[in-house]
Formats: sequence, structure tokens, C-alpha cells
Amino acid sequence: MTFDIGNLSRRDMLKTTSAAALLATGVGSLVAPRRAAAADTVRVLSVEDPFFFAMKAMIPEYEKETGIKVELESLSYDALQTRLVSAFVAKTSDADVIAVDQMWLGQYLDNGWIISLNDFIAKDGDLDLSDFIPEVLYSSNMWRGQIGTLPVAAYAQGVMYRKDIFDEFGIAAPPAESSEDWTWTKYLETLKALEGKSFGGNPLFPTVVCGSQPSPITHMFTQLSVSHGASWFKSFPGAPWDFSPELTGPAWVKSVEIYRQLYKLSPPEAINYVWFDAGTRFAKGDIGMFYWWTPYFYLVKNSGYMTGKKSDVMDKYATAALPKAEGLPQTVSLGGYSLGVPSSSERQEAGYAFIKWATSKATQKKMALWPDLNYQFSDFARASLYEDEEVKAVYPYLDVQYAMMKQGNGKITRPPVPGYTAVESVLGLTLNQLLTGSEDPKTALERTNGLFESILKGNLMIPYQKESFSDTLDGAKTLIGTLGKA
Amino acid sequence: MHTATIASPQALAPVRKSFVRRNLPYLLIAPSVIMLLALIAYPLLFALKSSFYFWNLQVGPQPLAFVGFDNYVQALNAFDFRAALTNTLILSVLGTAIEFGLGLAIALVLLQALPGMNVVRALLILPTTIAPIVVGFLFRYLYDPGGGLVTWVLQSLALPIPAEGILGSPSTALAAILFVDIWQWTPFFAIVLYASLLAVPDEIIEAARLDRASAWTILMRIKLPLIRRTAIIIVMLRFMQIFNTFDTVLVLTRGGPGTSTRTLGYSLYEQGLVNFNVGLVSAQTWITVLIVNVIVALYVFFAFRNEEW
Repeated sequence: MTFDIGNLSRRDMLKTTSAAALLATGVGSLVAPRRAAAADTVRVLSVEDPFFFAMKAMIPEYEKETGIKVELESLSYDALQTRLVSAFVAKTSDADVIAVDQMWLGQYLDNGWIISLNDFIAKDGDLDLSDFIPEVLYSSNMWRGQIGTLPVAAYAQGVMYRKDIFDEFGIAAPPAESSEDWTWTKYLETLKALEGKSFGGNPLFPTVVCGSQPSPITHMFTQLSVSHGASWFKSFPGAPWDFSPELTGPAWVKSVEIYRQLYKLSPPEAINYVWFDAGTRFAKGDIGMFYWWTPYFYLVKNSGYMTGKKSDVMDKYATAALPKAEGLPQTVSLGGYSLGVPSSSERQEAGYAFIKWATSKATQKKMALWPDLNYQFSDFARASLYEDEEVKAVYPYLDVQYAMMKQGNGKITRPPVPGYTAVESVLGLTLNQLLTGSEDPKTALERTNGLFESILKGNLMIPYQKESFSDTLDGAKTLIGTLGKA
Repeated sequence: MHTATIASPQALAPVRKSFVRRNLPYLLIAPSVIMLLALIAYPLLFALKSSFYFWNLQVGPQPLAFVGFDNYVQALNAFDFRAALTNTLILSVLGTAIEFGLGLAIALVLLQALPGMNVVRALLILPTTIAPIVVGFLFRYLYDPGGGLVTWVLQSLALPIPAEGILGSPSTALAAILFVDIWQWTPFFAIVLYASLLAVPDEIIEAARLDRASAWTILMRIKLPLIRRTAIIIVMLRFMQIFNTFDTVLVLTRGGPGTSTRTLGYSLYEQGLVNFNVGLVSAQTWITVLIVNVIVALYVFFAFRNEEW
């Protein structure tokens, strides 16, 4: 039986049709449109995180000052990464400025997809590099001694709790500063004091976690694990790089046990919660305390995600320092978005000029004081803004946030190494399974460790064949000093 | 001694004319065939070649080494392959069967000259016009344990809802994804089958009724056999579409909890557009292509074995 269409058999036709459909989800999308850059235009491609809206509101001012038209486009996180990589692979000039997640930086610089900003910065007499928090630049913007991007929105993690609920049940408020007394054990005890309680006639959940795999649960869990001194690999970011996985240590097991307890104190549906679900749940009013990225310090003022409508908890919550593990120095997870210049851009100087403007103290302050959406931007990477009284009047928690930033290290918490997303998929899945299952954490982590090893070997990361780089905070500070003085 | 003879243009004309005339169908179809080859064969062959290389865009922009069948071994031994294949088959088989059954039932109702059918027909097409991503977000709210419509309806019917919510429990999450697909694509079956049923000659139905054939007999012995070819084709198309499901999974569950809703399409998305492992995703693509084609080939063989085309 054959179709009589040319020489194509029916089976051949079916085969090619189904294959084409499948390929549409895979490598078939690695093609991007080429757009010509006008001489007086700078094209900016950004992720649609909270900072984007405040930055967008400032664009008319930039256009008026410079006479340069800004074509600003925003995409979701996944769509942005796909679009950027597609454009890079197809060698098309899709933008002059791009938003870069800290996890993409090494890949983009190593592949030559974005340019190093070292030369621009060294020649720039106006850029006050020393005002940037070194921990942020180190975590989000530096790779192998190159500054690839500058931070437009920097995130740490911190605690949010309900003052009224704590008062009602006579529970001591968590401290605004890190201390030896404010530990994860104490955090759990505080939450357990809220277990089974009702508030305002409604049942109360002591906390809320993110359970959705792979990224949301990994982002929240790794704060806990890094606090307990867990590291992903045998040697990174210090040299020599050795990516043999180390997920079976006691710090990992203990962190899983605590995270499991946190889930048991959360709404059960949190197993499926992504980033904003946890924040919006706190804003709904039935959560006592939780920890999360610092943008939620202001986002929970909204009922819903970035709605601009005031939430019920708006005047009833406060922020606090992250708990630490007993006897260990605190490490805080750092994240956020930065701006870089693609090597394919024909207007790299204009791109750098836009980045300098967007990350400047003046612009960042204006973004913070932009009143729409219930004041939606306090993700400063510039230390001086944490001292600005006008800004502090709008965002009273800045001292807490700055203290968390100063304890940050993004390179240990979630190592931005090639192939990170593949191992994050496995870790996220394991953690997700452990929340609802009864498997022993050590057994699950041993299995995950094996999968890590297999993936990393498959990605030619074990043994590591490229040159290592001793990537330390001190080295980053030296580079900041050198470029700043030049 | 050779003597060269050069034909006059007048003599060549009939030859050229007969060549064009003889090959006219092929010449007419040639542009389409070339286009098909360019759009389908090239990506397939490109993927086949890539599947034998280590090529991860997170590690380097170019393929780094020839690795033989390593990518295929990795893909088949991946932690999620078995679960993804099982889930995909469950979704594809059950989804296609249920959508076909419900679509046929709706099509038969549409055939009745009931009041308001014009409006129903117009409304019916709506779900299929919505992007799956949007449908995913819509159902995120409908499944919300804190007051989503679906949750509320099930609770009102005294049906047990897992504490983690419909999407949060491994026992219900896959069914929830299946339900979304059924909601969106049953109208597609209904409309196509309705159009086919309209083409069934009234005279045959009338003759069967005169012979006192029951409605069931008319359906099974007359209507279904007459729309068989259409039904076979749309079942095959939907099966292949569901086999590639990833967008609703991405929005609703990201493959979780655990691997309970992970599909082959989602794994392809993750390896290709999150991990950017071009070599591995190419191998996964070919494995998926082979699986789909084996299933479709068997289906086509059995479905059309008594057909003349």
C-alpha cells in the first residue's frame, strides 16, 4: 500500500512529517532573525524581572539626554536564553546590550559571545567601579579575570516574617543582623512554635518553600546547603578545578533533612511552587515566616506578582537576617541580572554607554524612587545606595539586605560552570522526590552523585581538560582596584 | 569516419515537447519535493550527524569530538528516559482514544438539528485556537488547591483531592495534564468528524432506517466505516502531536512531582533549550523519531491493510 504522490511512499511521508514535528522542539530552533542596527539606536534585550519595569520607565530620559533611541525588548528567562544562544550560534547581531544571568556568564565569555568590558572600564574615567559591592561583581560579573557584565539588579537572600503574628503568639522576632544565636536550628524551632496555629480565624502555615524542579527548589535549597558548608565539587572556584561531585557529605544530608522539615511546615501544594508562588503565598497572609530572594522584600507588598495592588501583609511584615549553621561562617546565595555587550554587536561603544548609564548610581536611584507598581526596585549592586536616606525611607530593610550581600558568594552556592543546568536538573529532581517520598537522603544523594559524575564526564568536565583559574574574592578585589585606578 | 549530424531546431521541438509532456507531473511537483527535502531531510540529517558528536553549547560553540554512539547510550541510560517514555505513551494512547471517543460523541450531537447548534459549533473551536502555554497558565489557576474551579468541582462531588493539590501529587498530576489536552483538543476531533459525517449520504442512512436498523447499527455499520479514512488520519496526527507534548508540562509541572509528568518532549526541550547539549538532544530526537515511526508504521499497516489507495 503506497500513496501515489510522486515517489513518496505513505510511510516515508509519515516518517518525515513526524520527524519534522519532533525536531521543531529541538535543534531546529537555532536560527534567529537578523536586524540591522540603526546608527542612532541601541537595541536592548532583557529578561522581564522586576528591575525591567523600573529601567523601562527611565528610558525616555536616556533618549532625551543622549539623542539615542532605545529599542527595549523583554522576554521570559527561558525564552531569553534560547533567543540569545540562537542568535550567537547563527552569528547574528540581535542586540547591542543583553541581560545576562550569572549562570550564563562563563559560557558566554568562554564562547566569545559577549565581549570583556575590561578595556572599556580601564579607559573610562567616570565609572566608579569601587562603588559596586565586590561580592556581587565577583559572583555575577567576573569570569577568569574578565569583567563580562555590570550588575543592573543584584539579589541576595533573606528572611521575611509577620510582625503581627509573632506578636500575637509572643514569639521573639528574628534578628536583623547575623549572629551565633540565629541558627537554622533556632529558625526551625521558631517555625514549630507556629505549627497548628490559627490567625485571624484562618489556619496558619509556619513557612513556605519552593518545591518545583529543577531551578526553584535548587535556588532555595542551596541557600540552606551553602550555609551548612556544602560544596558541589572537589575543587572550585579555587584552582586547580576538579569537578568530581561531592554530594554525599554530611552537610548535604543535614540540609536535605532540614529542607524536608521546612516542607512539612509549608502548605502541601508548595511541592509545585516556583519562585513567585512562594512570594505570593506569603503575601496572601497565611504564612508566618520564610526566606527567599531579596526582591521579595518589596514584591510581597503586592497582592499577586508585580500587580502594584497592595497586599494584606504590606504593613505587617518585616525582614531579618538569614540564619546560619552552628560554628560555621555564613555564606549567602547571590544572584541577579547584569548587562553585557554581544561580540556580534556593531555598536559596542553605544552598548557600553547604555550599560554605564543603567548601572549608574543616579539611574539606579531613580529606578528605586519610581513610584509605580508600589515601588518596585531595591536590587542595588552599588554600596552607596544602601546609605542613601531618601532611598532608605522607601525601602526600610536595606540594612538587612546589604548585610546579606556582604556575606554573599554566588560561585560556591550555585557554581556557574559549563554544564550547570544539566546537573541542576538532576539535583532539582532528587530534592523534589525527597520532599514527598520517604527515601533516605544519603541514598538519594549517593545516586545523584553518581548521575552528576556521569553527566560531568559526558560533558568532558571530569577530568577537567582546560586551564583552571584561581577565582577568589581577593583576586576579584584586586582586579577591581586595578581597573578602577587605570 | 564520423559524420556529425546536427538536428534542426524544428526537429528538436517535438522531442522537447514530448519530454515536458511526459514529465509534467514530476516537474510540477519538483518545487514541493525540493522544499520538503530542504525543510525536513536536511534538519534530520543534520541531527543525525550531530548525534555522533560531543557538542554542548555550554562547553563550546563547535562540536568538540566524535563520540560514536555515546550520546545514544547516554540518552537511553538517562535517569528520566524510562519514566518519560512511559508517561508519553500513556498520554498519547489515552489522550488520542478519549479525545476521539468524546469528539465523535460531540460530532453526533452536532448533527442533530437542535436549537443553538450554530453557536455551539462556533464556540467549540475556541480551545484549539489558544496556545498551549496559555492553556497551561489557565489550568494552573483552575487546579489551584486554594479555590481553583476544577478543585472546587471535584471537592463538591466529594472526590478526594490530594493534600499537595492535583498537580502536586504523583497520583494525579499526569491525569491533570491529560485532562488539559483532552479539554483543548477534543473539539478538533469533534469538528473534523462532524465535517466527515456531514458527507455521509442521507440516502444510505434513510435506506438503513427503512430496514429498521437501530441508531447504534447505523453508527457502527454505516457512519463509522464511511468516515474511517478521515478518522484514521486524524488519530494518527493527534497521536504524533501528543507524543511531542512539552509546553503544558513546562507550565503546569516542569515534569514533576519527581518524574511523574516528564515526557519525551519535555526531555528534548530540557536537553536542547536549557542544557544546550546539541549532540545529546540530537540522539534523543532520533530515538524519539524511531519510536514514533515504529508505532505509526504498525498503526498504518494494520489500519490500512484492507484499503486500496
